[in-house]
Amino acid sequence: MHSIDLFALQQRYTEQGILLCFNGPLSSSLIEEIGKALRNHMESQAITPSSAMDVFGVYIELTQNIRHYFQTHAWPEAVATVVIARDEAGHYLVSAGNRVQIADGRALLERVAALAALDKAALRAKYKEQMRAPRADAASGAGLGLIDMARKASAPIQGQLQELADGSAFFSLTVAI
Amino acid sequence: MTELKIAGSTSTPTIECTTQPARVYMKGDSYPENAFDLYQPVLQWMEAQLASADALTMDLELVYLNTSSVRIMMDLFDTLEEAHTSGRQVTVNWYYDARNERVAELAGEFKEDLSLPFHILPQG
Repeated sequence: MHSIDLFALQQRYTEQGILLCFNGPLSSSLIEEIGKALRNHMESQAITPSSAMDVFGVYIELTQNIRHYFQTHAWPEAVATVVIARDEAGHYLVSAGNRVQIADGRALLERVAALAALDKAALRAKYKEQMRAPRADAASGAGLGLIDMARKASAPIQGQLQELADGSAFFSLTVAI
Repeated sequence: MTELKIAGSTSTPTIECTTQPARVYMKGDSYPENAFDLYQPVLQWMEAQLASADALTMDLELVYLNTSSVRIMMDLFDTLEEAHTSGRQVTVNWYYDARNERVAELAGEFKEDLSLPFHILPQG
């Protein structure tokens, strides 16, 4: 049995301002539970209801996007890494990552970069256009999620792709509120 | 015409569709993974109601909507807009906590695409 160095973990979390994190299979009920913990935390802090709703909204879109990806790509298990941190300036950073096919990861990275380059007015126009776009898939927000997160972000959204030797990749997205 | 009531949960609003007068009431957060499944019966109820009733009021106390819910809400509003255009008396009242202007912004983005009477009403 290997021992887990909790002190090292704790130091790492503290250093990076991590308030909440999760690594493992992500079910819809777990998304709700972590969401409740996040809301409780924000209620205890003096942040406005609008900002709290932005952080919560980004957390929901990120995690539901991941579950949707796994459901539509017949992936065996919806394993994800979710981290909520707060930086020195008091901004909340909501991040989530998961394994993807390399081609999907590259396409996502391009979409994220394209959205990150748009200003708020252009994002709003794109959101409105996407709202009216025909939906191929009833279950999803049909591409609205990423635009919605980019609109709520206080800095350009950031995607990262780590390509792995087994032909898959790890994609992650960080949104600052 | 029967009534339609759906109990709320952490991620879904309380929904009450009642007749005489026709009214759709929804309260709470809405972020189910598949909002289409949740709202499809509401959409069907509204369509059936509007086939005979000449008025319908929608009272909303919705707070947070995920993008999946936003898309289907737009379908509900489009159905009301069509009824409005064909001369039916439809009204939307969206009540929100005055401290949370994000809800007013969300409601405002729906309203700007519609010509039916749509009231965004701060509370408290």
